[in-house]
Amino acid sequence: MKSVQIKAEVRSQIGRKDAVDLRRAGRVPVVVYGGNEVLHLSVDEREVNSLLYTPEVLIAEIEAGGKTVRAIVQDAQFNPITDRTNHVDFIEVTEDKPVKVSLPVRTFGNSAGVRAGGKLKTIMRKLKVKGMANNLPDFIDVDITDVNIGQTFRVKQVKIEGVEFLDAPDNVICTVAATRASRQENAAADAGGKKK
Amino acid sequence: MLSPKRVKYRKVQKGRMKGNAQRGTEIAFGSFALKSLDTAWLNSRQIEAARVALNRYMKREGQVWIRIFPDKPITRKPLEVRMGKGKGAPEFWAAVVKPGRIMFEVEGVPLETAKEALRLAAQKLPVKTKFLVRRDYVA
Repeated sequence: MKSVQIKAEVRSQIGRKDAVDLRRAGRVPVVVYGGNEVLHLSVDEREVNSLLYTPEVLIAEIEAGGKTVRAIVQDAQFNPITDRTNHVDFIEVTEDKPVKVSLPVRTFGNSAGVRAGGKLKTIMRKLKVKGMANNLPDFIDVDITDVNIGQTFRVKQVKIEGVEFLDAPDNVICTVAATRASRQENAAADAGGKKK
Repeated sequence: MLSPKRVKYRKVQKGRMKGNAQRGTEIAFGSFALKSLDTAWLNSRQIEAARVALNRYMKREGQVWIRIFPDKPITRKPLEVRMGKGKGAPEFWAAVVKPGRIMFEVEGVPLETAKEALRLAAQKLPVKTKFLVRRDYVA
């Protein structure tokens, strides 16, 4: 997993009024937990947005008060109207503790179904996984070469060492659906064959 | 047009539309969305008009989700009728929309197509709107 460095400041005061003042100054109140102590920090909004506006799960190396903490985003809250970041929860990453994250799915290969005129539909954009942060891949690569029209690729078909999948094994990650054009072509071909 | 199949009570009180939307404020299904910035009752005709405009521009490609449902019966009294003598007859169905509410979501079309389709849909609605893209969207 890639990591990003973030400079944070320890919050002198905690509470709603302080949080509002921070947001007005372009900073976001954040909390880091899961380690030995809970840290209440504030981070520049643009810096924290680089972690949120991406499909990848990035490890944030948060520098605050002379210490560096490695953490990943656990939860984020946004303003419902302006969509600005209101608050972010980080969970500390340690060597001995597995983490639960949602990794993005990336498809590769030239699907037999797509070549036959079908359309690839990605149903699950992310998969919930559990594993050591250092062992987790950036993406979950799904080989769709053998997926034909009407066939699916399921969670149970993905195998990555050291990664436990938390989604139901039968959940469909992607499928190749028949398009209107491909269905008409097939119908025309069938009709032509019957006439002969 | 959208309307409930069956309701427990035929008529309901007006209610008040205070504050912002508490639910349905995040994109849940598609990659692009239309968010309301105003408070309004959206009737089933307006929602249908927006849906038709959206689908027409997208040329029946991609997928559309309607995240609001008109489940509030709105009554009207006939013209030239004195006040009193009971509540009027149900006239149409409305969805209560508050600022921050995602109304439509779109998937399976390029960003520019979705933007224009949702702009056309927004013109059919009596609220100010905003176009949104999923945070982890990659073109």
